[in-house]
Amino acid sequence: MGPTPRAARALVLLAGFYLLGLFLLAALAAADWAAAVHTPGPFALKVFIVSAVLALPIVRGMFMLRTPPYEDVPGVRVDESREPRLWQTVRDIAQQVGTRAPDEILLTGDVNAAVSEDSRLLGLAGGTRRLRIGLPLMTGLSESGLRAVLAHEMGHYGNADTRLAAISERGRVHVLRTVAHFEERAGAKVSKERARQEKKAAAAVAKGRKAKEVDTTGTGVTYRAMARLYTAYGKFYLRATLSGSRRAEFAADVAAARIAGRDATSSALREIPVIDAAHDFYLNCYATLGVDAGLLPPPGEFLGGFRHLLAARHAELDALRGELPTEPVSPYDSHPPIAERVARIEALPDDGRASDPVRPSLSLLADADRSFAAVEETVLTPAALGLRRLDWPELVHAAMSVQTERSAQRFGALALGTASGEDTSPHGTHGGGGTPGHGADADGTPGHGADADGTPGHGADARPGADADADRTSRPEAAPEGDGAGAATLGTLLDAIDAGALWRIAERLPRSAEAAAAHGRAAREFARPQLRAGLSQLVSAEYLRQGQARWQLSWAESAALELPYGQVDELPAALEAAVADRPDTGPLRALLEPVAAPETSAPAQAPAPGPTA
Amino acid sequence: MITLLWAVLAVIVLIVLAIGLWFLKAIVQGALEGWRSGSEEPDGSDESDGPYELPEECAAIGLLPPDRQNTDSASPVPAELTAALDAVARGEWEPAAALLGRTAAERDWENRSSYAFDLGEKAAQDDTWLLAWETARPDDPDAAVVRARSTVCLAWDIRGGKRAQYTTGEQFRGFHATLQRSRAETERAAGLNPEDPTPYITEIWTALGLGYPHAEMDRIWAAITERAPYHYEAHFSAVQYWCQKWRGSHELARAFAAEAAAKAPLGSLLTAFPLIVHFEHDETTDQEVDRTPEMVALVDAALADVAAADPAHPRLAEVRHLLAYYLSLQDRDEAAVEQFRLVDGYVGALPWRYRADPAAEYCSLRDQSVRAAPATA
Repeated sequence: MGPTPRAARALVLLAGFYLLGLFLLAALAAADWAAAVHTPGPFALKVFIVSAVLALPIVRGMFMLRTPPYEDVPGVRVDESREPRLWQTVRDIAQQVGTRAPDEILLTGDVNAAVSEDSRLLGLAGGTRRLRIGLPLMTGLSESGLRAVLAHEMGHYGNADTRLAAISERGRVHVLRTVAHFEERAGAKVSKERARQEKKAAAAVAKGRKAKEVDTTGTGVTYRAMARLYTAYGKFYLRATLSGSRRAEFAADVAAARIAGRDATSSALREIPVIDAAHDFYLNCYATLGVDAGLLPPPGEFLGGFRHLLAARHAELDALRGELPTEPVSPYDSHPPIAERVARIEALPDDGRASDPVRPSLSLLADADRSFAAVEETVLTPAALGLRRLDWPELVHAAMSVQTERSAQRFGALALGTASGEDTSPHGTHGGGGTPGHGADADGTPGHGADADGTPGHGADARPGADADADRTSRPEAAPEGDGAGAATLGTLLDAIDAGALWRIAERLPRSAEAAAAHGRAAREFARPQLRAGLSQLVSAEYLRQGQARWQLSWAESAALELPYGQVDELPAALEAAVADRPDTGPLRALLEPVAAPETSAPAQAPAPGPTA
Repeated sequence: MITLLWAVLAVIVLIVLAIGLWFLKAIVQGALEGWRSGSEEPDGSDESDGPYELPEECAAIGLLPPDRQNTDSASPVPAELTAALDAVARGEWEPAAALLGRTAAERDWENRSSYAFDLGEKAAQDDTWLLAWETARPDDPDAAVVRARSTVCLAWDIRGGKRAQYTTGEQFRGFHATLQRSRAETERAAGLNPEDPTPYITEIWTALGLGYPHAEMDRIWAAITERAPYHYEAHFSAVQYWCQKWRGSHELARAFAAEAAAKAPLGSLLTAFPLIVHFEHDETTDQEVDRTPEMVALVDAALADVAAADPAHPRLAEVRHLLAYYLSLQDRDEAAVEQFRLVDGYVGALPWRYRADPAAEYCSLRDQSVRAAPATA
């Protein structure tokens, strides 16, 4: 299809949206008229009100002409004086594509690059062009890869059909927005109805009556019906414009291959899903590892730490690069499947530019570290910015220590049957003696106040561990109250095991249906792994509290607990003995013994040339 | 206004009419079905949902209803074994030790492996008595055999009897870990009584659970046949290993069973295994596959084997159960009833053992054969 019929189609489809609105308004008006003529007054009034309420979102959708600005991705605007090389590269590519260079460049914190335009008059006239480049994307791409990505994005501007795409996009946004208006109103109505019924139910319960189930089916039905109409039109719209937008993607790919080179383009396309997956993993397992403990990596490292991960896991990621994502894409996705795009690019003739020098694309930035730090400020919430900053090794140790302590406490509470008092007991031990001393300490660490406020979701049970840990990192010689409680838990548990209570303890732990159904020795076999793991956590927490063990950061693997010298070999057997059919806590107590008095036992423990000597 | 009223009324009338027709159809259909099933009743199908009623023909020859069938065993349990099991339930190990000691002295490997299994099952639940035995007589080969067996039984208790897809990861982890422990124990038991095949029979179940390669299984098998070439439980265990659902295939299992049956002397009962292999791999509901000339020949061979067997062979009843099943499926009802009568009262055997309600399945097929057979009593 040539540009003219496509333009016509886009306009017809957009007009269809307004037509649908007008038709619905006319139908509502007709209903009003019929009601006024054929029904008694009160009923007609009701019809008027309902039709007015339904007309509102339609009218709103028709008159809200501006596409919403991209406000969702925060970023840092960089001007030419600050990033001359980046600007030069972008201008260079825009010129080769044959389009106007963007007016603004923003650096963002996501794995994405995007262009947008504040166009006017239904997208028929251009406006401010904005290019957004995610720093994590740059972290993962080579310079030539980034050039390919930029060329693809510029290609969207340059292609003759991008203006039409703007119209299509506008229509899509309109339909979606109108649907959203209806859904929102339906949702509001449902939640209002729910609140009303819940209140009624609560009142009924208070009076000792049986509460009725909250039922909101049927509420907001008219809104939903209208939304469904628009959704149907939206689906039709998307299907009709889909081939066009997919063709536009292929065309932009071809433009990218022409400018950045075939191989650079295909490898960038292969790279992006890998970077995306790796970045998700990085955020989950590294960047936010310490958030529960009120900790973040140093400024610039929240985003910048991704570099270490990519470097350390190079081989692992190489395996991922080989395979392309194969999951089927939604029929409404404007992008064709990546595998297909790669195949099309790789089918292009070789342009002999495979051996472009591989430089990291971050080298286009004047000062990558400064950029990381600046973008980070826009990505993190104020509460997160208030968290304490620690270097990576300390962060991993501190965060993992808190996690260990917490799971140990959880197990201890379950095992000792104090789980119901979980909220009060750890809090109580800390709240009593800990808080006053802590206030003084908090003055010295400004981030600390924010820790309590900044992580509201974790509530009271998150804080004791975090506080205890913060105490330790600042004053390693101090022994806060929590230590005594934790050691007491382990001691109490070992005593209970010696008293023959091991299998009664096992019954308090959460069990699978199969484990719960088992009897005799089989029940013990089911319980044993859990008991051993729980005990292991208590022991690890004890070692950590005594400063005898340390969580080691690794960018290539998960963090590992480094146990005191020589105990790696002995601990498994000691744990096994403690949860055996005839439990023997002796070996475990013997292992924990030197920890209690490290000065005296260290030489005795290490007759061989030990590192502690 | 009047026309509107008529239109609305017409719609309502049509709807009521439609509903009425639908009800009428349902009523007529129901009546027809009731009449049809009513006319069939005199033929006496026992598939009815009502409570089981022992047919007169069965009662006449002394056969028992399902609720009087013992599902734990294929035949009456020897008194000494019952005594030993009762004793260990009380924590006394001495009768069990005496019983197992005698089997070793008499080189009665058939009974030894069978007793070791029953005692092992008990010890898998509670091994206090076994620990006492081990403390009192360290290095007792009989205690060692029970220990190994109990660990393997324990592994199966953890795993449960369901197929792999219905078994949880937790169950599999416990199963594998426990089986791993059994390896040293079977080795120790074998070392303490080098003549005894029982530890190796136990090891087959470890091999099966842990997926030993075929070469390992061949090693175990060589050790067994060296000590007891025609051991029933050993063959039964090995057939399980070679079955498709465990570590072999239909072909491998069939070849194994055919060779065992061909080599064994008459009366050793090993002719049961080709039938068992057929049973284990039969996924059909079609009775024809059980009536082929090959199957008839296999049943005939087993009949001859049973006739020649020592009446005191501990596995004789198991084979009779299998024979009764296939004789009945082959419509050789008179012969089937003969086998049924010999084993009635105990149904803890193949094929019933694999069914949800063994006693009901057994009685259902038995009653059909009794009805179909010419009156014998």
